[in-house]
Amino acid sequence: MKKVLAIAMIALLMLALIAACDNDSNGGGGSSAGVTKDNIKIGVVHIGPLADQGYTFNHDLGARTMISNLGLNMDQYIPKFDVGVDPANVTAAINELVQEGCHIIFATSFSHGFQMIEVAKEQPDIVFAHATGALAHTPDAPPNFHNYFAKIHQARYLAGIAAGLRTETNVLGYVAAHPFAEVISGYTAFYLGALSVNPDVTMEVIYINSWGDPPLEQQVATRLIELGADVIAQHSDSATPAIAAQELGAWHVGYNNDMREAAPDASMLSPRIDWSIYMTFAVKSVIDGTPIPADWGEGLSSGAAFITGLNDAIVAPGTDAAIDAARNNIINNNMMIFRGHLKDNDGNNAQITDYDGNVIFEFTDDNSFFAESTTTSAPSFNAIIAGINIIS
Amino acid sequence: MENKKTKSKVLVNHPDYKEHQEPWIRMVKIDSVPRGIPLLVRVSALLGAMLTGAIIILAMGSNPILVYISMITESLGSASVLRETIRIAIPLLITGLGIALAFKMRFWNIGAEGQIIAGGVAASYFALFWNGYLPYPMLLIVMFIAAVVAGGLWGMIPAIFKAKWNTNETLFTLMLNYIALEGLRYLQYGPWRDPRAFGFPIISPFPAEARLPTLFGVHIGWIIALLLVVLVHIYMKKSKQGYEISVVGESVQTARYAGINVNLVYLRTMFISGAIAGITGYVTVAGANGTISEEFTGGVGFTAITVAWLAKLNPVAMIIISCFLAILDKGSGPLVNSFGIPSSVAGIITGLFLFFMLGSEFFLNYRLVFRKKEGNRE
Repeated sequence: MKKVLAIAMIALLMLALIAACDNDSNGGGGSSAGVTKDNIKIGVVHIGPLADQGYTFNHDLGARTMISNLGLNMDQYIPKFDVGVDPANVTAAINELVQEGCHIIFATSFSHGFQMIEVAKEQPDIVFAHATGALAHTPDAPPNFHNYFAKIHQARYLAGIAAGLRTETNVLGYVAAHPFAEVISGYTAFYLGALSVNPDVTMEVIYINSWGDPPLEQQVATRLIELGADVIAQHSDSATPAIAAQELGAWHVGYNNDMREAAPDASMLSPRIDWSIYMTFAVKSVIDGTPIPADWGEGLSSGAAFITGLNDAIVAPGTDAAIDAARNNIINNNMMIFRGHLKDNDGNNAQITDYDGNVIFEFTDDNSFFAESTTTSAPSFNAIIAGINIIS
Repeated sequence: MENKKTKSKVLVNHPDYKEHQEPWIRMVKIDSVPRGIPLLVRVSALLGAMLTGAIIILAMGSNPILVYISMITESLGSASVLRETIRIAIPLLITGLGIALAFKMRFWNIGAEGQIIAGGVAASYFALFWNGYLPYPMLLIVMFIAAVVAGGLWGMIPAIFKAKWNTNETLFTLMLNYIALEGLRYLQYGPWRDPRAFGFPIISPFPAEARLPTLFGVHIGWIIALLLVVLVHIYMKKSKQGYEISVVGESVQTARYAGINVNLVYLRTMFISGAIAGITGYVTVAGANGTISEEFTGGVGFTAITVAWLAKLNPVAMIIISCFLAILDKGSGPLVNSFGIPSSVAGIITGLFLFFMLGSEFFLNYRLVFRKKEGNRE
């Protein structure tokens, strides 16, 4: 009986505690009115830890550069690191940023989208910006919710040129995260870049079904080299593929970070995103009270996508010039990456499909081109073209 | 047998025998502890953990006092963080209750993780595919029943094998975790993949009709948890079935002699234990997350073993322990943002607290007896 009483009292206590604290729940939350350079607060939900030296490191760098670009104070940037993808944690992190009075909140991972939309609907006065997502143009999304990405496929195309010129076995290997458009579009652009300078090149792709898993990334890179690849590229978060390439005497193309330090004899260059371009634009728009498009995606021309760490000591002769020529074509001649009569491995026209398998684009002849990342900031190219072999 | 005897005889006659008859250190079970001592031991364990943690924090270049204060304010300091702390405590508490029932009968259920998944998947099935066919509260009730039945049946599988073939339940329950997880992965990467995610392996968020309502800003899983505390307490202490669990736990032979159907007790208790873990799955998918994914358990099925054990299987004490673990979890999370302490180090600090607390239980049950010096021997 005593125990039951004790339980009841504890329950009552907890209730009282929560109820007492409940009053401030309606507070917080910034309002777009009266936002100035001096009082604006910027929240960022980071998927990983700062120490990853890859994706989160690069996104944090973007935020810091944005702060200095706009002449703000570092304490106006409120990062939440290592939030992961657990929906309850993501919601909690976004809500905490709301409570702390942020006027604009960024989320860095594709998986944060649904939770961010939920909070965005409850907080119409706060601006929400979701990287790599593809929901802003759907009817679900409220007007204060935005997507942003960079046309990283352009930079991957340039990196592919370095790989195509360097390979001796004419086999490239690609450590790929998840089997969907963002990743497929990336490795196809990389392959097409290689193909543009080396018509004999083929590519093996292995998925790790994760954004980052350092031991697995290293294993997969090793397997690709065993399969004959002598250039390893990656769409995964850590530098372990570079280390595998270094140890086994292969070459490497990184992502998100200059990986020359991890693999000085292997790392040729890395396609990279400069997130500060969008973050500066978005935060400035909030301060100025100007609108932000639902989808934002820029590439080589604005520097939102670029290549970094070109390792002159190990790239093939003429790499720099070939990359410059292609960069010039993309920026000044509006050259499309996904163009021409692309075919699949069975010799049929390559087709881009939506999830239900409906064809939304088909490469029917030499004049076909697909303008990637123009209607939505997230990539949609998801055809597997001839020359690329997916290993399961 | 013969051999052993001669061996020991030789030993006794050996001149060094006296040196070796008593080990340098040995454990002696303590029968009764004086009043006040348990509190003293536990408080010193807590201080010991804080001191050891302080060394690590100092090594990371931060002020330990500020870090500890921040851990308290970041977990209890405001309504919003307090709600998060309670949200974290809910699944630990519920799962701990389920595990305690099995542990009480010395059935080592390491399979709560799998039972949570079974419950979560069953509830998710109705949330994803039955919305619109059932009126509002009915959908949530059907999801609840589905989670209870699925969790219970998943928990009953090892009990059936134990009853029929006396299989090892520790291994069996552990292995079932992986089967459940792979099943969930299959759904996430295959038939349940959300079409709106452009091929990304993610399961759609539940419709609003399949979300648990909130009370005071936390989903009502906390009410379910507190109700379960009362129910499990009454079941264990006041019911005939609860008594049978205790007897089976003390001695299977005694239970058989007393006419208790031991196999029935195994099956029934493991159904209830799994069903309670299934409820954890339910409140997590319908309350906290609003969807399901391969990571949705967050390892609660294993952490809850610590909850049950530290609370000595006492349901009321589990409220305190689960809240304490939630405070550690919530409080240590933001250290990376405010002090630059990586989450891995924050995890070490959390682990230290658990280590010291579990260690202190040892000293409440046993005392160490050191071999006396030769000269002191009477």
